[in-house]
This record gives sequence, structure tokens and C-alpha cells, in this order.
Amino acid sequence: MDALNNLMYGFGIALEPINIAYVFAGVFAGTIIGMLPGLGPISALALMIPITFAMEPSSGLILMAGVYYGAIFGGSTSSILLNAPGVAGTVATSFDGYPMAKKGLAGKALAIAAYSSFVGGTVSVIFLMLVAPLLSKVAVSFGPAEYFALMVLGLTAVVSLSDKSLVKGLIAAVVGVIISIVGIDLQTGTERFTFGSIQLLDGIDFLVVALGIFALAEVFYMLLRGGGGKEAPRNAIGSLKLTRSEVKEIAGPVSRSSVLGFFTGVLPGAGATIGSFLGYSMEKRLAKDGDTFGKGNIKGVAAPEAANNAACTGSFVPLLTLGVPGSGTTAVLLGALLVMGVTPGPMMLEQRPDVFWGVVASMYIGNIFLLVLNLPLIPLIAKILDLPKPLLLSLILIFCMIGVYGMSFSVFDLLLLLGFGLLGLGMRLFGFPAAPLILALILGNIMEESMRRALQISGGDWMTFIDKPISLSLLVIALLSLGLPLLKKRRKRAAAAAE
Amino acid sequence: MTSLSLKRLAVIALPMAALAGMTTSVQAQEWTPSKSIEFVAPANPGGGWDTLVRTVSRVIQQEGLADKNFAAINVPGGGGAVAWAQIARDSGNPHKLFATSPPIILVPLAGASRYDHTDFTPVARLITDYSIVLVSADSEYETINDLFDALKENPRLSVGGGSAPGSMDHISIAGLASAAGLEASSVNYIPFSGGGDAMTNLMGGHIEAVITGAGESVGQLGEGSQIRALGVSAPERLGGGLADVPTYQEQGVDYTFDIWRGVMGTPDMPEEAVTYYQDLFAEMLETDGWQEARDQLGWIDAYQNSEEFGVFLDEQQEQFSGVLSDLGLLRQ
Repeated sequence: MDALNNLMYGFGIALEPINIAYVFAGVFAGTIIGMLPGLGPISALALMIPITFAMEPSSGLILMAGVYYGAIFGGSTSSILLNAPGVAGTVATSFDGYPMAKKGLAGKALAIAAYSSFVGGTVSVIFLMLVAPLLSKVAVSFGPAEYFALMVLGLTAVVSLSDKSLVKGLIAAVVGVIISIVGIDLQTGTERFTFGSIQLLDGIDFLVVALGIFALAEVFYMLLRGGGGKEAPRNAIGSLKLTRSEVKEIAGPVSRSSVLGFFTGVLPGAGATIGSFLGYSMEKRLAKDGDTFGKGNIKGVAAPEAANNAACTGSFVPLLTLGVPGSGTTAVLLGALLVMGVTPGPMMLEQRPDVFWGVVASMYIGNIFLLVLNLPLIPLIAKILDLPKPLLLSLILIFCMIGVYGMSFSVFDLLLLLGFGLLGLGMRLFGFPAAPLILALILGNIMEESMRRALQISGGDWMTFIDKPISLSLLVIALLSLGLPLLKKRRKRAAAAAE
Repeated sequence: MTSLSLKRLAVIALPMAALAGMTTSVQAQEWTPSKSIEFVAPANPGGGWDTLVRTVSRVIQQEGLADKNFAAINVPGGGGAVAWAQIARDSGNPHKLFATSPPIILVPLAGASRYDHTDFTPVARLITDYSIVLVSADSEYETINDLFDALKENPRLSVGGGSAPGSMDHISIAGLASAAGLEASSVNYIPFSGGGDAMTNLMGGHIEAVITGAGESVGQLGEGSQIRALGVSAPERLGGGLADVPTYQEQGVDYTFDIWRGVMGTPDMPEEAVTYYQDLFAEMLETDGWQEARDQLGWIDAYQNSEEFGVFLDEQQEQFSGVLSDLGLLRQ
């Protein structure tokens, strides 16, 4: 089998001692970078370009790829423990991970995150190896109309993320869309909602909003409830072990989300964040106990963690086979490869098989390293929850502020962070769910841009969304996912009435 | 706020400074930097300005051309406007430079920045790239004229680019269209969030053609590729992977377009400092390290010293405002 031969060849490269060292260094650095909110893989990789310049291209990419997927792996830790997403791709992990930690199940949540990430990472590397060259066709089959339909499908998850009140969920989603379009409109060059401020011209960074609405709002909320509130359970990391029934329970979500995540990652521009949300909302809908999602359901940790790691690997498909970066992080990787004298693209598999197969093989090794590295660390890291509450809260506050300031060196962003913290607090006090806002923030802008682009191409003809088979099927699925629960409810009511 | 962030950046820059070679001998009367030079890329990591800043800093360090370190700093926002506003406040500071290219003229013309090139000190133009028109490999168009004939028939044919209307890609194709005898505003220009994004859409058959940077597209062309080039905006044929691509002029359309990149400094930068930097960059362009990096990135040397660069910038502004007003996008 051809793929097997190639993989053997790749392992020959990845298993060279120096490359093993690079994989280890990469995933180790990545885990740390991922754990610290705000310090994302993009800036870390940009700083590494001068270091990798002198390296063998395969070694350089092995190291940098390790930092990238290591960061996605490590990002779940702060999502779960502090409700402060370490990287954008792990926001969805906090929905159920943080409630688990509050219940004293931090150890279990972290372990599930580690196992799911490992499976997601490994499954997607197998996909990458077997079908990457074919997948370049999938990646380009999505034009503006198809992206619009995909975003509509993604947004239907607002319904399932809205727990109690659908109206409040929809209001939160609209606020999210509005935040997402702040800045210069790409289609016309017009400023929207900037109030003349140049700091807002490029829009609002996703992590500023996420850290504010989740982490900072949580800090405020705990402060409000004051010392009289009940103390967090002491020493309550809980067991790392999963029972057999728990393993069985997450097996389905993990494997489904790995596949879904990988294909989301393959689409340029979609990536780990959207992948993890799609995985989360898919599992919430499929689960029989879907209503316990958001309250500490283990499937709600497993699904986004498998999906975001798979998506991260998936994003290497357009990068390596087409030479087009699908995200900011892969854009930096592309830049680094060019500087090292490797031009990713259709010819790369033939011209530089060492880079392609070396990196693929190194990802298997890297994922094993990550698991081995992270599992023993869990009890140590989770000890952070033992800190006295005032100390823990100040720590979260500091993490958030350093994270946001470190991204842009901008005091303005700190004020925004504070503003979103207050918004998040208000939302909690009045029972507005935060997840729909975050989802709409991620999808809103892409949805709008894709729609207008599609209409500009079609000359204003709305049929373009229905004429294209992929777009049509996605829209039908979106309609079904909105309609079926209604039908089910009506049938149940009819059945109840008949009795 | 600014001084606080500078301190922080200096802390980051220190370890790099320690690495920098200290080989250049300097005559006493000449101005030389007394501390690390902040070299600003007015954008996020990964783009054209960022690549220029990091490549230049690295070559200067590796070749030991300067006593002090060039610290690459990203100040993203507003297509450059955030960084320009910061630098404009730093009048006379000889230790701050930034990478620049046509947006320093286009963004202000579109009304999105209070500051334009006249607010800063030109230091040197370094390189240029050209724009290139791409179609999918199985497209019916063989020459740039085929494409424009089709556009005359059907003005709805979509041409994608990697930036907003009124920015570089759009100006380049609009100028080309008007040189070919069409209305500049008749091109159905579809803005994507980057050249790569536009090229994937071309490969998927969602749009008819793409206008983007030649350097950016070079990895996409060649054997086995799903796209091919109709023409390039250079005055004569380029080398390497683009040797087969005819210029517009060869095809009877008298039009060239430079995507130049250079370096500017703070407002009213002292003359001695400008002289120091322009000579430093001239020296850098001669080194092997630079030439290797330049070839890998598909850049073409296009050095101009401070004075020539200043004149060139004024000419560019005049040319761009013409195209923008044809497009109805002139806001200033």
C-alpha cells in the first residue's frame, strides 16, 4: 500500500533523534502557550521564524506544527479550570468543562479533554495521510454560497445552546452578530459601529470577547456573591479515571466529532473554533440527555476537544496541498515554509515528500507525547483550584489582562475586556446564555461576507443558494435541525392529548 | 501608554540584541543608532509587511550590518491606520521605522486614515512585486484580451481579489481595465479576505479570474497546477517560475503596476539618521543573505534612496487618486 510506504518513509524522518527532540520541544512549548489565555500559537510561531530559518525544512515544520496542535491541546486546561479559554479553539470546551470542575470533577474533565484530543488528533492524522491529496478538491468546492449555507447551519445551534429561554438566546445571538461586524466592511470599505475610533477599525478580537464574557464575568459574579457564598469544594480535583460506561458514553461523540472536526478544518477559513462548536452542538442534539449539556456533561467536553484537534490537523490539508492558508496560524506557517525555501502547493508531495510525510508522521508521535505529557500534569495543574478564592480570582484576572494586553499591547483592548466582563455579568444576572453570543460572533461576519459575495457573483440572484447542491443540502439540514424538534414536540403533545 | 508598551517591547528585544553581530566599524562623525531600532509591521504576523520586516531584520542581523538590533514589532489594525497614528505621534524619533507599500497612499485616499505618506519620512524603497491575473487551468481564456473581450460582453463576470474595494488588487485590475479600453468601474470586483482565499475560490470555479500578487501566486503555478496566469503587470518578463507569463504590454495593453515595498520613518526624522538607514539598506541589498531570501520570496530589488522614494510616492498618489475617482471611491 502506497500510503503505508510513504508513512514508513515519513517515520524514517520523524524518528531521527533531532526530529524527535523537535516534536517534543514543539508540543511542550505549545501546551504551555495554549494554557495561558491570550498567548496564542500565532505570535509564538511568528517569533520562531528566525529560529527555524536555519533548520532543515522538515524539522522546522515538525517543530512549528507541534507548537500549533500542542497549543490547541493545552488550551482546554484553562477553559476547564478557570473558564478562561486558552485559545479560541477551546471556548466550547468551557461550556461543560468548567461546570465539571465546579462540581469537583476537574480531574475527570481534564482527562477526558486529553483523551479526546488525542483521539481527535490521531484520527485526523490518519485521514490526512490517506486522503489529503483528494481532499484538496473538497477544500475548493466551498465557494461563498456554500460557506453561507454552512454558517446558517452552524447558527441553528443557537436554539440548542439557549437552554431555558429561546428569546434570550436569540437576543444574545443578535448581540454577537453585531459585535462580529464592528470594523471596516470588506465589501464596501465602510466603517460600521466604530464610532470614529481607529482601534475598532479591524473589529474586536474574538478572544477579548470570550475572556471577558466567560472568565471576567465569572470573577465578577463570584465577587458579587461575596464571601458569604459557599466556598468551592476543597481539594476536589476528583479522580482521573473514567469508568467503563463513561468511556462507552464518549466513544460515539469523540469519533463523530473527530471526523466532523477534520472536515471542518479542511475548509479554508473554518478551522478549530468553528469545528469545536459544530461538534458540541451536534452532540448536544444527538444526545438523549442533551438538556444536561452546559451543566457538566462529559460528552460536552469530549466532543469539542476531539473536534478542535482534528480541525487543527485538517487545516494542514489546504496549506500543504494547495499552498493556501486557511487561518492566521497557517498563514504564518506558510510564510515560514517560504522562508525555508519550500513552496507548499500541488507539487509539494512530489518535490518535497520529506517535508509532507515527515510532518504527518511527526504528528502521530506528537499526539502520543501530548497525552503522556499532559496526563501526569493534570493533578499538578488542577491544584490551582486549591488556591484560596481571593487568590484564584486575582490570578484569573491577571491571566486575562496579560493575555489581552500581550495580543495587541493596547490599553484600549483592556477596556474592551472590562466592558465585556460587565456585559457577561449582566447577562448572567438576567439569565441570558453566553454561548449563543459567542457562536454568533464567530459565524456572523463570515456568514454576512459570504452571502454578499455570493450575491455579487450571481448578480443579485438569490437562487444561487439553492442551485448549488452543497449549499442546498446544508440549508435543508439546517431547516430539518430546526424543524424536527418542533415536530417531535407536537407529536408528543398529540400523544399526550390522545391519552 | 506608548512609553509603557515600548518598555515592554524593549524587554522582548533585548535577548535578540545580544545575538546581533557587532562587526561594523563606524566613523565618529556619522550618526548611528544608540539603542535597538523598533521596526514596525503595521499588520498581523504572516502578511507582506510582516514578512518584509522580519526578513530585513534577520538579514541585517546575520550579515552583521548594524551595531544595534532591529526588533520586529507588529501593530495591527485598520489596514495600517492604527500603527500610522501611533508612529505619527513619535515625531523625530530616529529609532523607529515601519514597512510600507501602496496602502500608505490608498488607505488615506479612501478616507480611512488621517495620516498619509506626507506625514512620514521616506527612508528607502526596497523591493517590488507585480500583480498577476489568474484563471483556472481549464478556462477558455488564453490571453488578457480574451478576458476583457468576455468582460465587455458580460460585465457580471467576477474577478476576485484579496482586499477591499479601492485597495491594491482592485486598483490594479481597474487600472488595467481602463488601459484596455473598458470603464474602470465595470469590473465586477469581488473582495476576499486574502489572495489565498481568492485563489481557492478560483480553483473551485466559483469566480472567473483572480488578481493578486505575482510573488504570492508563484507556488500555485507550474506543472500540475489548477490555475494559470494570463498576464503580469511588470514592464518586462519576470524570471523563475513566472518566465512563461507574458506581460500586459506584450499583449498590447500599455499598463504596468508595481506592488512596491519600502521603509519609512517617524515624522521629521533627523537627516543624519535617514542617511544612515538608506545607506544601510543599500548595503543590505548587496549581501548574499538578502539575495537568497529575496529570490525565495519572489521579490525583485527596486531600491530608491530617501529622496527618490519621496518623489515616487507623490507620483503614486496622483496616479491612484485618478483611478479611485474613476471608481467613485475617492473620499478625500
